[in-house]
Amino acid sequence: MFIRDLSSISPQYTYNNKIFENEIKFYSGNRYLAIEPDYKNMIPLSLLRRMGKAVRMGIGAGLPLIKKHPGLGGIIIGTANGGLEDCIKFLNQIISYNEGSLTPTNFVQSTPNSVAGHLALMSNNTKYNTTHVHKGLAFESSLLDAKLLFEQDEVKSLLVGNVEEISDYNYNIDYLAGLFKEKEVDSKSLLNSNTKGTVCGEGSAMFVLESSPANSLAEIKDIDQICFPTESEIIEKTKHFLDRNNLTESDIDALVLGLNGDNRTGFWYNNLNKKLFKNHGVFTFKNLIGEYTTASAFAIWLSAHIIQGYKIPEEAVYKKPQSEINNILIYNHYEGSQHGFILMCKS
Amino acid sequence: MEALITTLKKEIIEVLNLEEMEIEDIETDAPLFVEGLGLDSIDALELIVLLEKKYGLKIETAEEGKKILFSVRTMAEFIKGNK
Repeated sequence: MFIRDLSSISPQYTYNNKIFENEIKFYSGNRYLAIEPDYKNMIPLSLLRRMGKAVRMGIGAGLPLIKKHPGLGGIIIGTANGGLEDCIKFLNQIISYNEGSLTPTNFVQSTPNSVAGHLALMSNNTKYNTTHVHKGLAFESSLLDAKLLFEQDEVKSLLVGNVEEISDYNYNIDYLAGLFKEKEVDSKSLLNSNTKGTVCGEGSAMFVLESSPANSLAEIKDIDQICFPTESEIIEKTKHFLDRNNLTESDIDALVLGLNGDNRTGFWYNNLNKKLFKNHGVFTFKNLIGEYTTASAFAIWLSAHIIQGYKIPEEAVYKKPQSEINNILIYNHYEGSQHGFILMCKS
Repeated sequence: MEALITTLKKEIIEVLNLEEMEIEDIETDAPLFVEGLGLDSIDALELIVLLEKKYGLKIETAEEGKKILFSVRTMAEFIKGNK
């Protein structure tokens, strides 16, 4: 499947592509908050005032693409948590209102499929509409769904994307569970912090995918995933993944790795890099946008621009590639338990 | 009464997320629904919950609701009359 168009709202200046003009936002602390565009020109105020951040970002990234590419064959969204802030608000209302009268707004806005639903309603798209919620593999599952639809020739084009938001409530729970850094680390030194925990991010990346390579920006050639593997299984899985695409390690020009500065789980990336791709170029992205369950969508957004030859900010270059980049392997995992592989190629 | 009207306007802005509006933008006697603020049925539910939660008042019938939720003044009169 081929990327025809794309858009991203993230903690960096990605919505307007200023990130490629060396406009980088540096963060200190654990929360990398999305830089949101002015939604007033695209979302009616009567709808906007009810939308939580996740829904807003999803609509902001996705709706302009749908309008630009009318007649899409469906909408597929990957999100582990959806509108988490509104979800917790609704649960708290049940308690504070003593299970009495409740308003539907927070509930309606908080369901994970609210983003895909809003996009469909706002664009009158009555075709395939699905949301995948498989935590750290929610976005990979969305891509797999899209790939199967294209392979079965059921659609010619789709909007596929992700959305995730930082919620105060969830941040605090995850912090107590040890997910995030205890000592403040700035984004410049995140990947070398060598302490446990990472930083929290959010955002939405949306892609118009088509079965035809015409006018495409890059190809998403294959996707694979594995849960709770051993270190040797990751190596075997990677080899098998390349092999089934008639590629070897030497055909890969660069890796895009989900390194997030957590010294408890960084070894997964380092092992793969050392054992199979020792002399390859490496790009990172979580030092720009933080960690979240569907961050691999941003990795695709970045990879499509790498393949297109954009000037990639040095903060994303972990090890400079030696050759022109035609094939990229994205490897990302969430908390060391859910691992995803995405193969991207020049179309 | 005027103090209650001002408080009610603040609460309406808060519960309906009317972030663009100030208290002065809401006319006390203007209709809240369709015209005036242009609120809809989901907003009506929010206002019903506001009356229940903040003032302990229940609207019993749809007909009664139409009259009470007509404007900020009719809401304030309902609150004052039932305190």
